[in-house]
Amino acid sequence: MPHQSGARGGSPMSRRSKHASSWNNYLFVLPALLFIVVFIGFPLVYNLMLSFQNVSVYNLNGKHDFIGLSNYYKSLEDPVFYISLKNSAVFTVLSLIFQFTIGFALALFFNRKFPGRNLFRSLMLLAWMLPVVISGTVFQWMMSGDYGIINYFMQSLGLIDKPINWLSEGRTALLGTIVANIWIGIPFNMIILLSGLQGLPEHLYEAAKLDGANRLVQFRNITLPLMKPTILVLLILGIINTFKVFDLIFVMTAGGPVTSSTVLPIYAYQLSFSTYEFSQGASVSMIMFIILTLISIAYLRMSGKEEVHA
Amino acid sequence: MVGFHDERGDARGAAKLIDDYEAAHPNVKIERTYISFADIKNKLLLGSVGNQMPDIVWLDNPDHQAFAAAGILADLTEEIKEWGQADQYFDGPWSSTMYEGRNYGVPIGSNNLALYYNKDMLEAKGLKPPTTWEELKEAAKQLTGDGVYGFAMTAVKTEEGTFQFLPLMYQSGSDIDNFNSEGTIEAANLLKYMADNGYMSKEVINQKQSDTVVQFSTGKVAMMINGTWQIPLLRKEGKVNWGVVELPKNKQGGTILGGENWAITAASKHKDIAFDIIKFANEPERLKAFDQTAGRLPARADLLQDPFWQEDPDLKVFADAMKVAKARAYGPNYPKISEAIQIMIQEVITGAKSPEDAVKEAGAKIDAILGK
Repeated sequence: MPHQSGARGGSPMSRRSKHASSWNNYLFVLPALLFIVVFIGFPLVYNLMLSFQNVSVYNLNGKHDFIGLSNYYKSLEDPVFYISLKNSAVFTVLSLIFQFTIGFALALFFNRKFPGRNLFRSLMLLAWMLPVVISGTVFQWMMSGDYGIINYFMQSLGLIDKPINWLSEGRTALLGTIVANIWIGIPFNMIILLSGLQGLPEHLYEAAKLDGANRLVQFRNITLPLMKPTILVLLILGIINTFKVFDLIFVMTAGGPVTSSTVLPIYAYQLSFSTYEFSQGASVSMIMFIILTLISIAYLRMSGKEEVHA
Repeated sequence: MVGFHDERGDARGAAKLIDDYEAAHPNVKIERTYISFADIKNKLLLGSVGNQMPDIVWLDNPDHQAFAAAGILADLTEEIKEWGQADQYFDGPWSSTMYEGRNYGVPIGSNNLALYYNKDMLEAKGLKPPTTWEELKEAAKQLTGDGVYGFAMTAVKTEEGTFQFLPLMYQSGSDIDNFNSEGTIEAANLLKYMADNGYMSKEVINQKQSDTVVQFSTGKVAMMINGTWQIPLLRKEGKVNWGVVELPKNKQGGTILGGENWAITAASKHKDIAFDIIKFANEPERLKAFDQTAGRLPARADLLQDPFWQEDPDLKVFADAMKVAKARAYGPNYPKISEAIQIMIQEVITGAKSPEDAVKEAGAKIDAILGK
């Protein structure tokens, strides 16, 4: 290819042609680049600028002053910030553990051949396709203390002797939203893991069988190592998606009672749109952004090492 | 062309108003956008940043001063002086349109809170509708049982929760400017009493006013505090035999004023036409027809004397309470004050904090917000 010879340091003539062709190549990226700049870059920069100013409902259309890191200090001094951070961590970790293990179990199950497999696989996806507002509302009803079906079943089975107000008690509200989020997230985990499983070479398992490896050994020594890249992608996507969950919690508890199910996105929303402290809300969003960026960098490091091993 | 943001389902009244005005002024075309009650604040704030504002808006009256302070609303002081109708309106609704001595709007219609009760359930226990807090507590106790809660009022973490709590505080002799005081604690203790004894479901912290009315109209709740606007719904779909009385007294009687106001945005290019529409809509006969369709009380003293409100026993309860209904005119920081109160209510009902501690903490936040 011409630009390869250019890269090795040829005549000025060939260097120019290299430039021209790489400019052409950049042209192909332009639409995607424009999209990113307009729809991701601009809001991000706008939010960043907002977080360094003092915009509230008073001066929304007036003069905005640059106040440096004051909003960040203010957020970091607010006890509710740490409650939200802790809730976000609990929400993300518990959701992921259960979504992933249940999703993996189901993926292994659906990876076998049995009649009606495709039908059930598609049905499983329904949970993921439902709008979150609908799933959230249904879970809210099911977990209602006075007329919810979950209390009804648990009382009928003798597991509890009086109804629990799942979503209106501080101890259980966050747990209630986690259960709903696990239910929503299982199909996504299952589908990604299933597509990974189907790409695994059959002959390795046959060879292992000949060597007398049982299913557990096969799983540990063949499935898990080969699935590692898929699992890493899934977990990083899972962390980012779960950390950002807003709609489900907003529908089910709106962060309450008091602050018991307030996660960072809810906290940022309340600052911006309940008390109209737009700049402070922006600072919380930026802190979330930084946390997620750090996690993504850690992921890139890990997956980079993975490729070296391979 | 004039934009028009209205809230809730009372679109019929608004649609008629627009048709009438357009018929009388063929050169004006009004474009109406429906926005749900919960979204209207955020839509307006975002619109003001993006310079996409309608000419006329409806606002929930406790937000009016915050929007005026934000510079989103046009100053209508001169126009209203010229119009000369201000003294026809009740002080409560009118005060919510004022900010720093200037006028930023005109009240549309009002509402307030009263006590709805299930006639059959009270009769079965030989009870009369409660007129004092002591009677209310006793009635709630006796009416609870068999899957029925004696009492309910919403305590959700929105303005609705604050709206329901404030009258209890007024009745006990406290107000926002002396929040951390005996009266507020007494009001919080009433909620604690109801919740701890199981006379009121703790689920009220997730039940909006519209959920409370469903519980009441299906016979799951014997008494509820709720607003004027529930009457049409209860008449149409209520499955129980119900009545309504003014709120029980503690140290004193009283209720809270709700309602919406007209306003013109500062960015409007058609302020004169917009104000003409507001004047048109506020002509007594037209306003009366509108308030009747939309299930509101007129904010004008002269209109409230109309037989429609005076001869209907249910509506009369709310109409009479207009004289003692207090508006939430607490300045542009009210949304933050309200949030502190919402948190306090939830702490008390869930038992996370004692009424004394919860009130003390909320009081400290409110004093800081008010700069005391």
